[in-house]
Amino acid sequence: MQAELLCILIPLLPLLGFVANGLGFRRVPASLVGPLAVAGPVLSFLAVLSLFSNFRAGGNQPFKALLFDWISVADLHINFSFQIDQLSLIMLLVVTGVGSLIHLYSIGYMKHDEGYGKFMAFLNLFLFFMLLLVMGSNYVIMFIGWEGVGLCSYLLIGFWNTNTSYNNAARKAFVMNRIGDLGFLLGIFLIFTTFGSVEYSDVFASATGMTIGDKTVLAITLLLFVGAMGKSAQIPLYTWLPDAMAGPTPVSALIHAATMVTAGIYMVVRSNVLYTLSPLTLEIMGGIAMATALLAASIGLLQNDIKKVLAYSTVSQLGYMFLGLSVAAYTGGMFHVLTHAFFKALLFLGAGSVIHAMSDEQDIRNMGGLRKYLPITFWTFLIGTIAISGIPPFAGFFSKDEILAHVWEHNKVLWALGVLGSAMTSFYMFRLLFLTFFGEFRGTAEQKHHLHESPLTMTLPLMVLAVLSVVGGLLNVPHALGGHSALAEFMAPLYAGSQQVNPAAFGGHTMGASEELMLMGISAGVALLSAIVAYVMYVRNAAVPAPDSAERSLPAKVVYNKYYIDEFYEVLIVRPVRALGDGLYSVGEFVVDGVVGAVAWLVRTVSGQLRLVQNGSIGSYVFAMVLSLALIIALRFFINWTSVLGYLNI
Amino acid sequence: MLPIILLSVFGIALLFLGFAKSKAILLPATLLFIAIAFGASFVDWGKNYMYFNDMLLSTNLSIAFTAIVLLSAFMVVSLSSSFLEDESAQPAEYYAIMLFSLVGAIMMISFENLIMLFVGVEILSVAMYVLTGSDKRNLRSNEAALKYFLMGSFATGIMLFGLALLYGTSGSFVLSDLRSYVNGGVAYGSPLLLYMGLLLLLVGILFKVSAAPFHFWTPDVYEGAPTLFTAFMSTVVKTAGFAALLRLLSFSFTGIYSFWGVILMAVTVITLVVSNFTAVYQSSFKRMMAYSSISHAGYLLIALTAVGQQSKQALVFYSLAYSVATIAAFGVLLVVSRHQSGEGKPTDESYDAFNGLARQNPLLGFIMTVAMLSLAGIPLTAGFWGKFMVFTTAANRGIFWLLVVAVLMSAVSIYYYFRVIIAMYLRDGQTTAIRVAPFYRYVLIAATILTIVLGILPNLVRSLV
Repeated sequence: MQAELLCILIPLLPLLGFVANGLGFRRVPASLVGPLAVAGPVLSFLAVLSLFSNFRAGGNQPFKALLFDWISVADLHINFSFQIDQLSLIMLLVVTGVGSLIHLYSIGYMKHDEGYGKFMAFLNLFLFFMLLLVMGSNYVIMFIGWEGVGLCSYLLIGFWNTNTSYNNAARKAFVMNRIGDLGFLLGIFLIFTTFGSVEYSDVFASATGMTIGDKTVLAITLLLFVGAMGKSAQIPLYTWLPDAMAGPTPVSALIHAATMVTAGIYMVVRSNVLYTLSPLTLEIMGGIAMATALLAASIGLLQNDIKKVLAYSTVSQLGYMFLGLSVAAYTGGMFHVLTHAFFKALLFLGAGSVIHAMSDEQDIRNMGGLRKYLPITFWTFLIGTIAISGIPPFAGFFSKDEILAHVWEHNKVLWALGVLGSAMTSFYMFRLLFLTFFGEFRGTAEQKHHLHESPLTMTLPLMVLAVLSVVGGLLNVPHALGGHSALAEFMAPLYAGSQQVNPAAFGGHTMGASEELMLMGISAGVALLSAIVAYVMYVRNAAVPAPDSAERSLPAKVVYNKYYIDEFYEVLIVRPVRALGDGLYSVGEFVVDGVVGAVAWLVRTVSGQLRLVQNGSIGSYVFAMVLSLALIIALRFFINWTSVLGYLNI
Repeated sequence: MLPIILLSVFGIALLFLGFAKSKAILLPATLLFIAIAFGASFVDWGKNYMYFNDMLLSTNLSIAFTAIVLLSAFMVVSLSSSFLEDESAQPAEYYAIMLFSLVGAIMMISFENLIMLFVGVEILSVAMYVLTGSDKRNLRSNEAALKYFLMGSFATGIMLFGLALLYGTSGSFVLSDLRSYVNGGVAYGSPLLLYMGLLLLLVGILFKVSAAPFHFWTPDVYEGAPTLFTAFMSTVVKTAGFAALLRLLSFSFTGIYSFWGVILMAVTVITLVVSNFTAVYQSSFKRMMAYSSISHAGYLLIALTAVGQQSKQALVFYSLAYSVATIAAFGVLLVVSRHQSGEGKPTDESYDAFNGLARQNPLLGFIMTVAMLSLAGIPLTAGFWGKFMVFTTAANRGIFWLLVVAVLMSAVSIYYYFRVIIAMYLRDGQTTAIRVAPFYRYVLIAATILTIVLGILPNLVRSLV
């Protein structure tokens, strides 16, 4: 009973925060907005902690908290219930924990914005939907959360809605996600028709009775993966994420790095039984993930906007997560979600702190030497950079390595490509770090005058996240390094179904400790090497990227312009669709409006006639009544219908 | 059966309270009385009891309908604060009459003997005639009362004739006797008196619930009556009438469904078509609401036409959803029209009265919008589930052509319901901020919340019945 109460409180508290700040926008005093908005996430984080400790104390027993019967139509029964198990608890910890920190940070970051209260309300609403997404015990509740976070993402990307290009970015994110959502929705329909239920427990239980390579499961998993492509920004639906950086930086940290974009990974891990049943889907996923990781990393090499670099880095890291999933390393994928949430949130918040100090300047060509002015930001950003680059013993090293080790067992070429991507990651991150914090200040004198370290509400989250980025990897130290893969052990029960349908995919590590150590050595060495190259280029030689207008060699030009993917989509999809829309519109104008107009005319005419019957005279009313009564009597009693119908030969 | 006794006593007590100098106590006292009766109605929950020498039967279903009627009455009474501002009004009498009329309504809901049905209908009707004409100096109100009375007595005559014929054939007024008589193997069309009696009885009640073609009184009476009593009539009378029809048709006369089913189907279609089409042309909001109430009688009739297991749930839920939304709409109309009329100007109850309302009064605009959405049956409001359940009964019975008509008419209804919303949000008007008394506001907000909550969690009520 107590656990159920906690389950209700966890999403409810942020929702209350949303209601308070949303309804009270411009009425709640500014000093109260922050505490109100932060209280929800923090309290719900405490509730998650308590739930988590109960769960551990209770012997890791998963359970379902049924809130109420929600929809009950014919064969369709959908409960509003929450699933509490290893997976949802990990996600809950990340969402509420990192979420609380980012809420706290937002107080400092957004305080002087005109829409401060509205912003905090949207953040709270986002958290509510995200919690629904991870807690729901069936696909429909997940879908509600899925759509809800999409809505909040839209609202927050276009938060500064007086800027047209920001609005376009928001719309782009929304439309691209809709494409993915359509796939997800079709997947849910197919799940319902196949299994007769959308409840995880029912679906997975009946799925374990199916054979590997089942066609229906293939379709289901592909459709679900289309949904994941949209939400988690994989090729071909990734272009919205870099544009989404138009939103305020805390939004980028919370929604577009730490939580929402990992929903696709969560969904795949949640449906791991289905995916294990369909090796072909996993192969496709692996290809797409690898391509995404490399493409995004290479674009990141030449970007000059501090947030754009981080955005492409996010796309690339999401690719790594899917790469892990594609070789059935579900824990590896989730582990990377976890560590990525720490260091990427840290990096975004650090970038926010820089942007804050630089009076909204985002171009790293105009920065430099900031470490003297923003020491805390610098040190924490450095930690984040080391962590994401995969240099031991920071968090990113362990999680990325776990994925790469599994890939190695599966396919050596993919592994090599993965290491290449990891080299690029290290390079562009250190390039970013060096250009921002080292060398001479390259901005205007006025910007220099304003440089200041951010307030405590902003630096405190940075420090907490920095600590987590350092020690986060210890959660799952592999056996080869003397650990015992604690996270993998913890999450193992989730894959019982998968193990049952395809034991081969879970054969356990076949390679020895020395082989694993060698792999680790290579990837760490490559990352270090890239960092050193970046150091030589941008610190020793003090190179600064050329301005936009400069002449570039052809390959550099292609990469600098993000492979012209956006332009490609514009020509291939947007314009034809728009032309089709224009065409249909003119047809619609003519045909549909004509029909609608005719119906409206008919209704009005009939109505005008009927109205006249109501003439106000009692005599005629009574006459009409009696006439009707007489008619009924005549029709029912004095006409023999069987003989009439027989006479008419009907 | 406690509410019947309580309400009778309370009604008399109210008349005595009317002697007091201060009228301020009347409204809270009436609300308290209704609340007590509401609570008392649940005493018999879960038991099937015959009362008063087998004259009345209390079941969960009858309690549910009683609760809806009392809830509606409570809400209507709480919107009646304008009485107290009017010097010449006699609130004690009106409140007492409302309480007495509730007694009639409860009798109609829980009758076991047809005599009780007749007595209930008459108690309710006579009270309504008086309340319709309560605005004594208003010519329209007087005309409406007279019209209502004349046509009502006509319908009563038909109904009484029907009762007499039923007694003549079966020799009993008791529902269970009638049931065994009907199920005891009567040939189709014979004895003729049984069928004729049922037909006349049905016509009498169909008149009360304003189903076409017996609806002609409704627009004139609803428009002429003071808005408060229009709200009372369109909810309490309708709910009680449908409870009575359900009791008759689903219990006693199921055996001859083939006879009355077709008649009801015809009445349903005529009701839906006539009401929805005519409502389109109205320029007065209040008159539109009259046609709206006729059209909802049509939707409720669908559940009776397809009488079955789910009809009870559907009728209870629909009555509740409809009553709450209707009272909220009339509540907003009351404050708006009073605000617009001002000094010397006649009361403005047209759509134009709502022009630009939402700009200065977002709360009133929202309440009205939710009410209209619910009446139109838009999802996430109680009205949607009401329609859904009603349509489900017909689908289960396989009467699809009726469903097609109903859905089409429902689409037509969006036109006139949304006109208000458009007027409130998109038209320009000079409406200034309207001051709404706190209690009045709370009741309207509660109605809105109830509409939305039932729209999200219909099982809260559905699972009870």
